[in-house]
Amino acid sequence: MTWVGRPVPRREDARFLRGEATYLDDLELPGLLEAAFVRSPFAHARLGAVDAGAALALPGVVAVLAGSDLDVLPLPVGGVEGGVVADAGHPVLARGKVRYAGEAVALVVAGSRALAEDAAELVEVDYEPLEPVLDPRAASAGPLVHDHVAENALVRWSRVHGDPEAAFAAAHAAVAQSFHIPRLVAAPIEPRGAIARHEPEVDILTVWCSAQDPHRPLAQLGHALGRDRDRLRVVVPDVGGAFGSKGAVGPEVAAVAAAAVELGVPIRWTEDRTENFLAAYQGRGLDADVELALASDGRILALRAALYADLGGYLYATTAVAPHTTAMLLCGTYRIPAVDVEVVGVATTKVPTGPYRGAGRPEAAFLIERMVDIAAGELGLDPAELRRRNFVPPDAFPYQTPLGWTYDSGSFERCLDAAVELGEVERRRVEQAWARAEGRVLGVGVGMYVERAAGLWESADLRVEADGRAVVRTGSSPHGQGHETTFAQIAADELGVDPEAVEIVWGDSGEVPPGIGTFASRSVAMGGSALVVAARELAARATQAGLSVAELAAAEGGVEASARFESGLVFASGAYVAVVEIDRPTGRLRVLSVAAVDDSGRIVNPLLAEGQVLGATVQGLGQCLVEEAVHDEEGQLRTASFADYSLLTAAELPAIEGRFVETPSPLNPLGAKGIGEGGAIATPAAVANAVADALAPFGVRHVDPPFTEAKLWRLLR
Amino acid sequence: MKPAAFAYDDPRELGHVLDLLAREGEDVKVLAGGQSLVPLLNFRLARPDRLVDLNRVEELAYLRRDGDVLRIGALARHADLERSEEVAAGWPLLAAAVRFVGHVQIRARGTVCGSVAHADPAAELPVALAALDARFHVRSARGSRTLGAEELFLGFLTTTLEPDELLVEIEVPAPPAGSGSAFVEHARTHGDFALGGAAAVVAGREARLALLAAGPVPLRAREAEEVVATRGSFPEAADAAVAALELTGPDADWRRALLRELALRALERAAA
Repeated sequence: MTWVGRPVPRREDARFLRGEATYLDDLELPGLLEAAFVRSPFAHARLGAVDAGAALALPGVVAVLAGSDLDVLPLPVGGVEGGVVADAGHPVLARGKVRYAGEAVALVVAGSRALAEDAAELVEVDYEPLEPVLDPRAASAGPLVHDHVAENALVRWSRVHGDPEAAFAAAHAAVAQSFHIPRLVAAPIEPRGAIARHEPEVDILTVWCSAQDPHRPLAQLGHALGRDRDRLRVVVPDVGGAFGSKGAVGPEVAAVAAAAVELGVPIRWTEDRTENFLAAYQGRGLDADVELALASDGRILALRAALYADLGGYLYATTAVAPHTTAMLLCGTYRIPAVDVEVVGVATTKVPTGPYRGAGRPEAAFLIERMVDIAAGELGLDPAELRRRNFVPPDAFPYQTPLGWTYDSGSFERCLDAAVELGEVERRRVEQAWARAEGRVLGVGVGMYVERAAGLWESADLRVEADGRAVVRTGSSPHGQGHETTFAQIAADELGVDPEAVEIVWGDSGEVPPGIGTFASRSVAMGGSALVVAARELAARATQAGLSVAELAAAEGGVEASARFESGLVFASGAYVAVVEIDRPTGRLRVLSVAAVDDSGRIVNPLLAEGQVLGATVQGLGQCLVEEAVHDEEGQLRTASFADYSLLTAAELPAIEGRFVETPSPLNPLGAKGIGEGGAIATPAAVANAVADALAPFGVRHVDPPFTEAKLWRLLR
Repeated sequence: MKPAAFAYDDPRELGHVLDLLAREGEDVKVLAGGQSLVPLLNFRLARPDRLVDLNRVEELAYLRRDGDVLRIGALARHADLERSEEVAAGWPLLAAAVRFVGHVQIRARGTVCGSVAHADPAAELPVALAALDARFHVRSARGSRTLGAEELFLGFLTTTLEPDELLVEIEVPAPPAGSGSAFVEHARTHGDFALGGAAAVVAGREARLALLAAGPVPLRAREAEEVVATRGSFPEAADAAVAALELTGPDADWRRALLRELALRALERAAA
């Protein structure tokens, strides 16, 4: 029986649907105290004295700690290849200055969360407000957010390849467009949170943390707290969603951990929704100027781009990654001989940004795919045809782009053909002609994408017991992906057992082997491949003995193997088609259909893969229709609750139809690439192209998302 | 997101509720479904000294047809309205409007009288009730009075109810014989706060029109009704409905166009 490739239902669903999952807030420890934070009301201010007298006088309040009370380092900053990154890590509690509204200034520990909030209101903080820095394009001339960071440039990266200047000079035509991609919030159903407990007799600090994996909290907390790995244990319980926003550990987690050591009591912080809006890192936030040089036959001769990323007040370990990824993927699925791309990651007085589903890839797809449509309009060519003339062809892989990454595999034209068929583009074009004759506003758009996925390494420990049951200890960690199902399918095939006989253990750094974590659509390609390597070692031993793995395990009283799997980046890809209609009297955008074609290499479980496509597409649609984190001129987040920041519901969703093209990756034994983010990457590009297509008869060439009613209504007047 | 401390009472009888509301020197709030009040408490935007919980006052939990009128008690839930066959048959505008109230969990808990007393101009039922010429019965330890919509709604989230008064019942007369009705709404997502909306009841040239999110209160568009009566033109009536609106903010022009379109659609559908 082969299990990989079958639509096995998620075995973990029974637990979740019955309410039997254990989230952070479900955990209980004896003597557990609760934390609340005093947060800055100003986007930018010098920080004066913190007076906790009145708060400490409330019965039941145990402690109020400010930045100067904790002996900790800021959270670590991460770099990007070939880039310069400033030393501007997020302080555990604000020191000297606050750099966004909502930044944690002091920690209150009390017998209950309600009491901690009462006390937090009584903490008096002196602030000297400073001018906020809000516009990433203007920030280089603004007041300095960090005294040591000139021109507020936290990250600089650039690359020139070929001779773009000559290409533009000699080009038949050139097109240029400026873009603004707003910030978004990840909005997981379960906000962030942590419990910290220190056992002084053994000096072990245990942190239960709603996170994407235990490894990065372990490394980041170890850095901030100055604590060795063997004195720190991180346990990730069931997690109610992350979408990238729980990859880098928040300063609040480090504060609670440091306080648990300092005070000698176990402490919990369960983030509330307001805190999550204000203080969890946001996604996207990019301004860009992009130009293409074109030959008369539609070949793209050169790409020029300047990107201004609105990074916020500090750098998390992953903050620089998203704009770097955007830059590196700007050539998309196209063979472009000359490039000149520059990124400035700008300090603004807003909450930092970080990875959110797609993490730089949706921005790249949006920019290049919009430019290709604008170029097609300029040349009077069909947008799909212009794409076909520029695709990296199937025989070119492995293909190194002029920006430096090497695409491992892909079938871009097959993906486009499949999407054009699935999205019924020909029929929709006829419908569009009729609709236009009736005064209706209909548009059809295509969006291609390339997704950097996987890379680095993961590990797996595998033990097969004498009774034939297998236990997989994986460094990869689920928060909605379905590891318990897919990893059991993989192990079952390799070991020749039933998936039900495979137990998956994850999340506790004291139990699982080292790893990096769950992000970048890498679980199956990396964690799954580590599992394959371990299982194949057992299978080889069994074959040598002339036995099955189960027989060998029975004979030896159980057998074990461990593996570490390492690989370069793999590149998933795909093509999406969106059809939209705009209601003229109200400006309301309706997405009528989305056709989603993803090439994620070999699919382990088509049911779960489809779930990933649907979920990611819905998040991509949200970005098009309603989502936008808006700051006012004082730097206050205006969209700080679900009353002001909308997420789509089932009622708004169009028909979404998916299909997979399977071009296996040569870089791992499963042939897997990534499936977690394609919908979020390609959907905004496809919908934006459809909106521009719909508005073309009104003389509109480009609209930035979100495509709100008021914006579209004005364009239609 | 925990409320500030408050005292709490859960009386069993209306008389006891009114006595508690009459106490001097305290800021007292009435808790019914809690779908607006509890978030305000959790955000600490509302900090009452005392909550009086109506949920155990059984005499207020009713929704019934009484001859030609519908009587909605203070504890009738949105879901009661939504599921009532009598409402669907006799007051289809209410049945249509209630489907736009939040989500199913909110409708299961939230009360019709609570929504009216909260007086959010973007709420559905106050607007539908205004279009139906509903009467609002108010009680206090001092006595009782009955108000029309235009006497009840004073401003944004503000009514003419005194601190010691409770909205105990809404009385909805039967719509005019042979009338049709329609409720239309525009929100970013289903169940989200309305950006605009309209409720219409039309019988020939007798039209009643009320607008959502068109000003500080649920708004009866009397000028538009007059235009239907005198000229019989829905597009002109829709123009008249929005002509006098005082809309502000960067999207005021779009909101006026939206409300005009929604008024027109409501009138046309009600007449269809």
